[in-house]
Amino acid sequence: MNPQSAPAAAPPAGPGPESGSFAAPAIELVNVARWYGNVVAVNDVSFSLGPGVTGLLGPNGAGKTTLLHMLAGFLAPSAGTVRVLGRSPHQDPSVYRQIGLVPEREAVYPFLTGFEYVRFNARLQGLHDPDAAARQAIRMVGLEDAADRAVGTYSKGMRQRAKVAGALVHDPQVFLLDEPFNGMDPRQRLAMMDLLGQLAEAGRTILFSSHILEEVERVGSQILVLVAGRLAASGDFRAIRALMTDRPHTITIHSSDDRRLAATLIADPAVFAVELAEGGLAVQTAHLSAFRRLIAERSRSVGVSLLEVVPADESLESVFDYLVRR
Amino acid sequence: MNVASPAAASSADGSIYDLGYRHYEGKRHGGWFAIWSLFTEGLRSVWGFGRPMTAKGWPFALAGIYAFPAFLQLALSSVFAQSMSEGNKIELIAYRDYFGMMWLLAMVFCIAQGPELVCRDQRSHVLSLYFTRPLNHAGYAFARVAALATALFITLMVPMIALFIGDVLMKPDTLRAIGDELPRLLPAVPANAVIALGMASISLGLAAFSPRRAYSTIGLVAYFLLMEAVPAFIYAAGQHAGWTWAALTSLLTPITTLTGAGDWFFGAPLSADFPSTMSADQYVAAALTSIAVFAGLLLLRYRSLSA
Amino acid sequence: MNAVPVSRSIKAIPEIVRVTLRQLLGRRRTILLLLLSVIPILMAAVFVAAGESDVDGFASSVLDVFSVTMLLPIVAVLFGTAAFGAEIEDGTVVYLLAKPISRWAVIVAKLLGAATVTALLTIASVSVAGLIALAPQGEHGRAAILGFVAAMAVGSVCYVSFFMALSLFTRRALMIGIFYFLIWEGLLSSLLAGIANFSIRQYTLGVVGAFFQLSDQEARLTPATALPLAAILVVVALALATRRLMRFEMSGSGD
Repeated sequence: MNPQSAPAAAPPAGPGPESGSFAAPAIELVNVARWYGNVVAVNDVSFSLGPGVTGLLGPNGAGKTTLLHMLAGFLAPSAGTVRVLGRSPHQDPSVYRQIGLVPEREAVYPFLTGFEYVRFNARLQGLHDPDAAARQAIRMVGLEDAADRAVGTYSKGMRQRAKVAGALVHDPQVFLLDEPFNGMDPRQRLAMMDLLGQLAEAGRTILFSSHILEEVERVGSQILVLVAGRLAASGDFRAIRALMTDRPHTITIHSSDDRRLAATLIADPAVFAVELAEGGLAVQTAHLSAFRRLIAERSRSVGVSLLEVVPADESLESVFDYLVRR
Repeated sequence: MNVASPAAASSADGSIYDLGYRHYEGKRHGGWFAIWSLFTEGLRSVWGFGRPMTAKGWPFALAGIYAFPAFLQLALSSVFAQSMSEGNKIELIAYRDYFGMMWLLAMVFCIAQGPELVCRDQRSHVLSLYFTRPLNHAGYAFARVAALATALFITLMVPMIALFIGDVLMKPDTLRAIGDELPRLLPAVPANAVIALGMASISLGLAAFSPRRAYSTIGLVAYFLLMEAVPAFIYAAGQHAGWTWAALTSLLTPITTLTGAGDWFFGAPLSADFPSTMSADQYVAAALTSIAVFAGLLLLRYRSLSA
Repeated sequence: MNAVPVSRSIKAIPEIVRVTLRQLLGRRRTILLLLLSVIPILMAAVFVAAGESDVDGFASSVLDVFSVTMLLPIVAVLFGTAAFGAEIEDGTVVYLLAKPISRWAVIVAKLLGAATVTALLTIASVSVAGLIALAPQGEHGRAAILGFVAAMAVGSVCYVSFFMALSLFTRRALMIGIFYFLIWEGLLSSLLAGIANFSIRQYTLGVVGAFFQLSDQEARLTPATALPLAAILVVVALALATRRLMRFEMSGSGD
């Protein structure tokens, strides 16, 4: 993944889903901006994506949906270029043969059964065997049991799955999903995540937006973080975390002698603070990689054995928090 | 206000916090105030106040077009007042004829704003909220009908006043003219009141049956148009076939009945537009009956909604 | 820019028509309109019961007044505005647009669906009413029925395309449509003769003239004038509607 020049960031680490390949990236944005009068919804965003799953993160109002609408061709950028599979999707219906769109809005036609709805999509896509494709899509999302009931009787999670089935029935190269896990219970969410993972393995490019961080964590590690219309970070979120050098990492350590370990650790300049607590030692350090070397060496030198070393805030939540507050 | 409020109740496992909420111990208005508030809110929303400009477009445009001929006459009267001698008037629209001429606009006004009043509350499910206040289904229905009727009454009376001013202006002696014209204007007040009340109760009585605005609107259009045309057709067929009862079907019409009822206040016999066998008394009776019937329908509807 | 091949778009039309038909017919709406379309039939019964036999009278007082002037626009405005309904405002039209189908095909399909149900309903009503009242009146009566059936077909397409296009541009298409046929076609037409050229009702009545002569004060256009004007209206309405769909943009919903 190629980011725009993020402030104070080294070139991104992490294996991008599409790093320096020769094929044109499936999705490519170059200096894209979108404004409505005085309000700038998306501000100078550039990135490109290839096969794999990428999460689009951001607080409400960050511009995620606007970005997705531009990728889906339903909004023209005020500046910059949007390319999906090499062409601009704006006002070009032929591009929808290769795009699967799952918008946030409720699907229409509640009187159609699940199967009929997916088959309707299949037929409009001009598939040769719409019935078979529809059945296959229904199976992939796990709606076989409910396929013959009207969509209007479905729960929210089932309606989401029906929408996804409708979007993948024509086996597109690119998937754009806006808050796809909305309304799903944990089991359905896991199933959907697996599905997205499978599609990614098969070489599809998937971009989904979410503000539920644990969803994004689970599906894949590639993220794009949008804050107030600007791309605040992109890439593997652990790598991003590692780049945030001005915010100390917190690590919890259990050892055979916490106090002795604490005493030796505090002496090192790489360590900001050490706290002795009930659960163990909480160490704050700016340089995670340096610390990893440090802890092994120091514990050995004072004869303390390490029982457990846990980074306390590696979660996407803290990454996100940090980026949003910046 | 005490900011650092201590916990109002707590145990080992949980606490309820005192957020500084104070129970209201003061004066509370009763049901009539609730009805009045709902009435003023309804009146404002019929005219589109408190909503964007587009909401004001329809009611004001329709009321404006309804009043247009009267203002035209007013303008012409003031222009020609000088060159006219006493007793010489230009095309004079009589007060009693005005509604019969412009009823279509008044009808469209009801069709446009009636569903506005009663469908939105049903759609957004706020009725159950209203009925927890000291407001019952009768109060709600009454407030809504009063609001539409009042708005319509204003619409109907504005041209009356314009005609009045025009008539006065055409006479040289203003004070005496007012003295002459006022008694002629006065019957228009109860006449238009009955018309306004009649149209409002029909409109809301029908519109309230569907929370979907489109159905209510179309239903009203269909009702007004068909209930005028069908009795007229039956009457025409009846004249050919010698059905003496056919004229009575005109008592079922919304607009004709109300026009006839309005005429009753002006005293003189009905114009030639009405079936010759009918009298104004019958129309007044029919108008009052229809008001009762449709108000009853409205009450029934809201009673079932509040249950 | 790669356009969608015409054949692909055309093949999609029947599918959209099918779903549109189901969308329009499934509800209370149909019952209400069925009741309305029975009225001219009842009037035909009254006509016969009153022993009347004047074909011209029936044509003008029932077929014109009830069917063309009232029933047709009411049915058309309901189905025409419901074809897309709220899909443009609440953005759910995106499900129909995110398909490799030309926009004009979507418009044509919706029009076919809505106009077909409108035509079926109105033609059935006119035919039955006509058969009851006019068939016994011989050739003249039958010509009247034929004239009005043809008129309903043309009128349905015209009204529905007009109202459907309207519904793509404004939230209050229903009210504007009602205002149009009540005030513009009704009130103003009787005041200003020139409006006849811009009145779908006059186009419809003009078509009747190809089969049956209405009394002079009703129809103002000859079939030779009415049909081309109607065609222009339909083409312009569909073109504007297609452009509107092409330019459809999703607003950012707060995010």
